[in-house]
Amino acid sequence: MLKRLLAATTLAYGLGLSVASAETISMWVRTGIGDSFKEVVKAYNAAGEDKVELTEVPFSELVQKYATAIAGGQAPDALSLDLIYTPAFAAAGQLEDLSEWAKSLSYFNALSPSHVKLGTYQDKIYGLPLSVETSIFAWNKELYRKAGLDPEKAPKTWEEITANAEKIRALGDDTYGFYFSGGGCGGCMIFTFTPLVWGADADILSPDSKKATLDTPEMRKAVDIYRNLVAKDTVPAGSASDNGVNFLTFTNGKIGQQSIGAFAIGTLVTQHPEIDFGVTLIPGVDGKPSSFAGGDNFVVTKGTPKLEAVKKFLEYTYSMEGQKIMAKYGSLPTRGDIAGEVLEGLDPRLKVGIEAIAVAKTPYTLQFNDLINSSNGPWATFINAAIYGDDVDGAFSNAQSEMQSIIDAGQ
Amino acid sequence: MTMSGIASQSPRHRRKKRSGWRGLLYIAPAMALVTVFFVLPVLFTVWMSLHKWPLLGTPAWIGFGNYVRMVSDVRFMAALGFTAHYTIIVTIAIFAVAFPLAIFVEKQRPLVSAYRTIIFLPVVVGLASASLLWVWLANVDSGLFAPLMQRLGLTNGRINLLAGFDTAFLTIIVMVVWKIAGFTMIILLTGLQAIPAELTEAARIDGARRWQRFRYLTLPLMRRTMALALILSVTGSILAFDQFYIMTSGGPQNRMISVVYYIFNQSFVSFNLGYGAALSIALLAILVTISIFQLWLLKVGDERP
Amino acid sequence: MRTRREIRARKALRDRIAYHGIGIGTAFFFLAPFVIGLLASFRPNSESGLPPLPPWPMSGISFDAYRILDGFGSGVWQHTLNSLVVSFGTVALTVAVSVLAGYGFSRYRFPFKNALFVLIIATLMIPFQSILTPLFIILARLGLNNSLFGLMLVYVTLQLPFSVFMMRNAFDAVPKEIEEAARIDGARDLKLLVRVLLPLVMPGVATVSIFAFLNAWNEFFAALVLLSSNDNYTLPVLMTAVRAGRLGAINWGAVQAGVAVMVVPCLIVFLLLQRYYMRGLMAGAVK
Repeated sequence: MLKRLLAATTLAYGLGLSVASAETISMWVRTGIGDSFKEVVKAYNAAGEDKVELTEVPFSELVQKYATAIAGGQAPDALSLDLIYTPAFAAAGQLEDLSEWAKSLSYFNALSPSHVKLGTYQDKIYGLPLSVETSIFAWNKELYRKAGLDPEKAPKTWEEITANAEKIRALGDDTYGFYFSGGGCGGCMIFTFTPLVWGADADILSPDSKKATLDTPEMRKAVDIYRNLVAKDTVPAGSASDNGVNFLTFTNGKIGQQSIGAFAIGTLVTQHPEIDFGVTLIPGVDGKPSSFAGGDNFVVTKGTPKLEAVKKFLEYTYSMEGQKIMAKYGSLPTRGDIAGEVLEGLDPRLKVGIEAIAVAKTPYTLQFNDLINSSNGPWATFINAAIYGDDVDGAFSNAQSEMQSIIDAGQ
Repeated sequence: MTMSGIASQSPRHRRKKRSGWRGLLYIAPAMALVTVFFVLPVLFTVWMSLHKWPLLGTPAWIGFGNYVRMVSDVRFMAALGFTAHYTIIVTIAIFAVAFPLAIFVEKQRPLVSAYRTIIFLPVVVGLASASLLWVWLANVDSGLFAPLMQRLGLTNGRINLLAGFDTAFLTIIVMVVWKIAGFTMIILLTGLQAIPAELTEAARIDGARRWQRFRYLTLPLMRRTMALALILSVTGSILAFDQFYIMTSGGPQNRMISVVYYIFNQSFVSFNLGYGAALSIALLAILVTISIFQLWLLKVGDERP
Repeated sequence: MRTRREIRARKALRDRIAYHGIGIGTAFFFLAPFVIGLLASFRPNSESGLPPLPPWPMSGISFDAYRILDGFGSGVWQHTLNSLVVSFGTVALTVAVSVLAGYGFSRYRFPFKNALFVLIIATLMIPFQSILTPLFIILARLGLNNSLFGLMLVYVTLQLPFSVFMMRNAFDAVPKEIEEAARIDGARDLKLLVRVLLPLVMPGVATVSIFAFLNAWNEFFAALVLLSSNDNYTLPVLMTAVRAGRLGAINWGAVQAGVAVMVVPCLIVFLLLQRYYMRGLMAGAVK
């Protein structure tokens, strides 16, 4: 009898049914990840007994705020963490090990592989995908039309893109052919620019992340492409000092082409219905496409007493219902197995975002912030100096050596 | 100060002892706050500076390792250099604007108080708000300066002021002068008004020209006031952070990283809290040294009537 | 005779024109950024990305920018309220603490007086960004994390060097005879301080209040790190979110509206109290 009761309890527990009293989970998300996750939380709070209390933290300050909160013992139960930070946080021993539970999920193998890879540290899983974001190439069909280009024909090479950009620029005053955030936004440029070299099988870090491999013929070629776009005046002047706040300048309708995130498809559809745009994969320097798999991982603060409630909530986000809400508000499905069904009836362009996952890469390094993301780091500095500066060789050698010294200092 | 202390010592001698503890009582709330929210955190910072203290994870004792590292840290030296450069330029710029303004608003004339008030207005807004306002004005596409210069035919096309070091630096200097000059002006004005009118009048009658009066009368008498204005300006400039953080994110290719910005980056971007702490302590030492030097300057002013 | 008077009159006129010419030019430089920003904040959203040439709205006044601003965080009213609570709380506490301390430093002698005074002033010398982590931990230990009151205490501490210095000077300027007379009339300690001396140092109190208000109202970094829920954020924290942009594009209209909301109260407070403020500042500067 007792045994049976126990078994029943365990079963109920496992299903997450036995949480006696409703709990409130505190969770942080970064500002600017869009409405999709907020809507999921809204639906969950309306339906279930448990509540999720969401706090939006400005994305540029999220990491230090979370770290300070941990130091003061005031961290939230869970966090939507930019996936590239997961290894560093896991390595610091701040995150709850979710391995067993994660592997028990029937759809575990269908979860976005880049996220799981980044969420894994020393064979343990600390982070699971919450939102998937891939970089893709978008063009403004109306401007294509005006410039006498075929609006339905996606450009396949950078020669094509450059030629199109010039034609669009010729339309006049504040219409430009191309845009990127080149003013020290490392995060923007790793997202939209490195696919150019990844497509050609080069990379900026060695596979084990112990060597900086910035100076490659592929990267030189990619830099030349962007320099050329700037030199031909196809890029607005503001690009040179845009530290990321205008990452989606494409939404103003006056930019012919830009590499953006799949997230932006939802934004464009809902917030800027007037813009007629097409999307395709970002071509590499030799035409082979690639992408950056970004987005957020769901991580749990080590030692939270509300682990079960947190898991229950995460299961809800992975359910068909949760995934559909996310997709409706512009986030790609995190589960590959039901992606087709989830995206049914939604904008067909979202499928390009899913296609990108297959060719996408994500750098795995504990020093992502220092190397890449910091607007004062070597990568951001390199982008600005190499694309806008006069001394390309100097930009390469400086960045290469500084990256290497940061990597060495971290060993 | 010392004079009055000596003079008043004997008659007060009896009360001094009696009121000793009562005086401490009055300053107790202030001391409590300073202890809890300043002394303790600073001591804690000193303690942290002796560790390799990551933002996340467990700290490890490394003694003076952080301080040794500092000496050969090229980027820290660059930040020091930039901060010194900025401090000198901005202080000169502020004085160059504030001194003439102080002279301009010194005499009671019609509308003079209105001018004073308007010049002072930017002082009362926050540096962050001011930076935000100016980063918009300086934005190449949606701001004021670049399109205006283009429309006036001063530039061919729109120039992105924040993209190049020189123009971005100039923009920030102009913004800071706009924000701070009113404050310095008021302080200098105080000094000007403290100069007895008879003195100037006498010099005028003696045939001293305007420049001579300024050079040999006004300036020497303004010594103390100028020292005060100087201390405030220099200390403020050495601690500059908001304007670089908000307006240029460290500037084109990292060329506008001030010391505080570097400390901020080390602590919260690179997660080296320990090293950030050591840098803070070093900065504290530098500031204290500079302040002592400046106080000494003040004293010099004291001895020369 | 006549010509000389004429010459003098002409010179006076020329002086006046030069004076007002310079005055108006200067006033324009210091005033224009505010005016342009404020005017631009009333442009409809469709114009918010355009250069402010002219700055005023071309197709009717619109509150789009303010509506968008309201869409950030928990709404602009909530954050304004938080900011007001923190600012006025900081003012009240700063005045109370610094009047007491200023009086103590001015009128009493006690061991380590100078050292303690220098210690308070030394608070100015450290970039407080670098002591934020310890501050956070201390506040958490005191149970004051994520509380507006905790933030107030930090702000009061940051205000102390200036305020105590100011109030000590203000009390120094009060003739000792007044105090002696009041003592003879039987006024003691706190009563003496509040009834007799406080009215005499009002300009100092006003100056300290305005400074405390302005600094608490405008500070963003400590607020950002020390507060951790949407509902508690103050206006400057909201502004960091506005600056970061939403959906990948900064909305300049929201920035202008935010700057207006941040700046206008400061200007009002200053304009209302400027008489005291200027006088207090000057009195402090002479010392």
